[in-house]
Amino acid sequence: MMESLTASLKRGFGHTTFREGQQAALTALEQHQDTLAVLPTGAGKTLIYQLYGYRHAGCVLIVSPLLALMTDQVNRMRVAGFRRVAAITSLTSYAERQVILAHFADYQFLFLSPEMLAQPTMLAQVQQLRLSLLVIDEAHCIVQWGPDFRPEYLLLGAIRERLARPLTLMLTATADSATQHEIAKQLRTTPQIITESIDRPNIFLDVEAVANDAEKRERLLQLVSQLVFPGVVYFSSKQLASDMAQWLQEQTGLPIAAYHAGLSSEDRFKIQQQFMAGELAVICATSAFGMGIDKNDIRYVIHYHLPTDLGSYAQEMGRAGRDGQQSLAVLLSAPGDERLPLTLMEANRPDDTTIQRFYAHPQAFDSDDPGIALLTFYYQHGISLAAVQTLFTRREQERHHALAQMLAYAREPDCLRDRWLTAFGQADSTHTAKCCAPAKVPLDLAALGLKRTVQPAVNPVTLDWRARLETLFLSNN
Amino acid sequence: MTPQDLLQLLSQRQVRRLRVIENLLRGRKTVSTLYWGQRYGLLYLLGLDKALQRGALDQVAQTLVTQRLAAWTQDEQPQLRLTPAGHTQQQATTYYHPQTALTWPRVDLKLVTQRLFLAVQVVSQYAHHNVQYYPLMTDLATQQAVRQWFHQIKSTALAQMVLTALTHSLTQLPELTAMVTTAGLSGYQQPGQTTAQLARTYQESAWEIYLRRVDGVIQIATDARKRDHPLHPLLAPAWQTPVTRSAQATLAAVTTTSLSLDQVAQQRHIKPSTVREHLLEAAIMLPVTAVPYDRLLPQTTRQDLLAALPGALDDWEYMALTPELQARYDFFTFRLLAIWCGKQGEMA
Repeated sequence: MMESLTASLKRGFGHTTFREGQQAALTALEQHQDTLAVLPTGAGKTLIYQLYGYRHAGCVLIVSPLLALMTDQVNRMRVAGFRRVAAITSLTSYAERQVILAHFADYQFLFLSPEMLAQPTMLAQVQQLRLSLLVIDEAHCIVQWGPDFRPEYLLLGAIRERLARPLTLMLTATADSATQHEIAKQLRTTPQIITESIDRPNIFLDVEAVANDAEKRERLLQLVSQLVFPGVVYFSSKQLASDMAQWLQEQTGLPIAAYHAGLSSEDRFKIQQQFMAGELAVICATSAFGMGIDKNDIRYVIHYHLPTDLGSYAQEMGRAGRDGQQSLAVLLSAPGDERLPLTLMEANRPDDTTIQRFYAHPQAFDSDDPGIALLTFYYQHGISLAAVQTLFTRREQERHHALAQMLAYAREPDCLRDRWLTAFGQADSTHTAKCCAPAKVPLDLAALGLKRTVQPAVNPVTLDWRARLETLFLSNN
Repeated sequence: MTPQDLLQLLSQRQVRRLRVIENLLRGRKTVSTLYWGQRYGLLYLLGLDKALQRGALDQVAQTLVTQRLAAWTQDEQPQLRLTPAGHTQQQATTYYHPQTALTWPRVDLKLVTQRLFLAVQVVSQYAHHNVQYYPLMTDLATQQAVRQWFHQIKSTALAQMVLTALTHSLTQLPELTAMVTTAGLSGYQQPGQTTAQLARTYQESAWEIYLRRVDGVIQIATDARKRDHPLHPLLAPAWQTPVTRSAQATLAAVTTTSLSLDQVAQQRHIKPSTVREHLLEAAIMLPVTAVPYDRLLPQTTRQDLLAALPGALDDWEYMALTPELQARYDFFTFRLLAIWCGKQGEMA
């Protein structure tokens, strides 16, 4: 007989108890039930498929939309002791891909991007594998991102059929019941749904209303100067993240760095590791920063720009306080902040005229343009002009609705938590003073225990280079 | 690159094309870029910033012009010359001059950097008996090369050997360069500093810090050419001849046979113009002894052309030759002569 889940957890991972949701999802999978797990950020979703893969022969195939982060996931699994792990995405070089394919059947965990899996040759290779589990990571992208960015997610239902309907685990941190329904429908399954409250009671929610950009910058400086760290400040542009990191460092004397996709992979590695090691007080980041950061003691997350929807906001601010200690999520909000996400939305979407012209002469367009690439995809999959137009219109409405919800949160006069949870069908009516501070309510850092009392030590002692080399290579024991 | 970094790459005596500097940095090895790169003494820039966008230096250059430190000169391409004020400032600034720059075009910098950094991390973690760590993000080929090297050389003495070797290399460089190179390394409980962070710490531009780091890396790679160096198996393959494989084959065909250039083209199934480009590339990048100048530039040709050309090499223009001379000597011959003359200057 197979050992119990708890015994496997202890033996394979050294933990004695599951976090909420993990055991329920694993139990369902063990009963060969397709499972949709809607668990909050930080709930340990990856452990579910790691443990399943640990207990069962065959390959766990993980489809993930986050290209750059897949390599990181592979590294993390290797650090955790899983050696037979690989990822193939469009970023994987040809040579690398050949090496992986040569050992394809040996892998215990394989990460593939949806577009890679959709390629007929790759799919044929995958069909040869003995799949123990198919994992659809960030499953909400089937609904949320599909029509805009990753149309291949829409093919997953058909792909799953081609793979002879393997046992499937769908993972997401954010899905209301409509989204859950849509995910199940797209993947052509009736999964057992495991949901846990997405609430993070130890994160105090705060919206700070400011009059303009200058005031916003000043308020950010105040907060960063006063708050206990480590903290993360999110920006929607790489340039601003870099500029503000430098400015904040000059103003506060704290060790602060920027992190975004514009940095070299070496720099991203270093910044990430410095942050993990406690050498940095604050990271000024774009949404590129997040996954792969297993840092439990982040005390605050500040958003300098309005996120496009509550789901991504919850993901990002949810990186605070994973240790369960009191933490803070601040949204800085100025009039007109919605203009930026609106502009970004429009930039991502081909307009009606373009769609019509494209359908008249598809060859005449440059598929390097992401909008055109998307249209090409639809065209090649035989989706009609009218259907595409409807799709875009509907998607635009959804995004406007999502942005309106985000704005409603920023403008919420009574309870931010209630506003957030209601949007995900998890209403909460137990507002207290310890819960949140909407725009008109002042933020009391001292009462939260988040006000810094000791001045941080300035500049760490810099070692002479010989001493530094020695500490790198010579162990004291 | 900041305006102050670009200032160091310009000259008051010589007009320099911005596009040549840009293409050198981006690693574009056209004959024209290589020729002018050599004339400017800037070949060491080759491939140092492959991610640089086309036109990325335009604004930087314009800033120098606005500050009256440099001036545009009229030409079909943007060309710059330092003003007297620019020259004074250039001379007054202490700026880093890499010691190993001459060898840079002969090293695959990306390969050597990735392998060195990952090897240092692996050995450092090994020395501290740590097996659970995040490896630096490198491509699979690097990972495999380092893994293979490590398994072959792994011993209790390895860390000390690497430490001794790196110390020996870095001692040959200025203190700050050794400091910057070391601080950028990642290993046990040392995530390593980014170039931008080091620039702030040492009050230099990120580009200057980067030059120091490349200098440090290449010094280590130079020392690792010795067979008894612990990093020899890993770093020696980074040394390459600075001309493309195809150009090497063309040069070999020309030097080892008596075929005419057009016959070589036929034999190699390449265009006659490509044969000439290959030879020019080899002439620029290799020592004067590697190219059969006597055969390609007979004495009479040299005399004929030199008699008609101005004394200053940078003032030579093929189109300024008489139609009669142009008919007799093609551009290839003209350019090869210029390279040969330039090399004479280098040798003198």
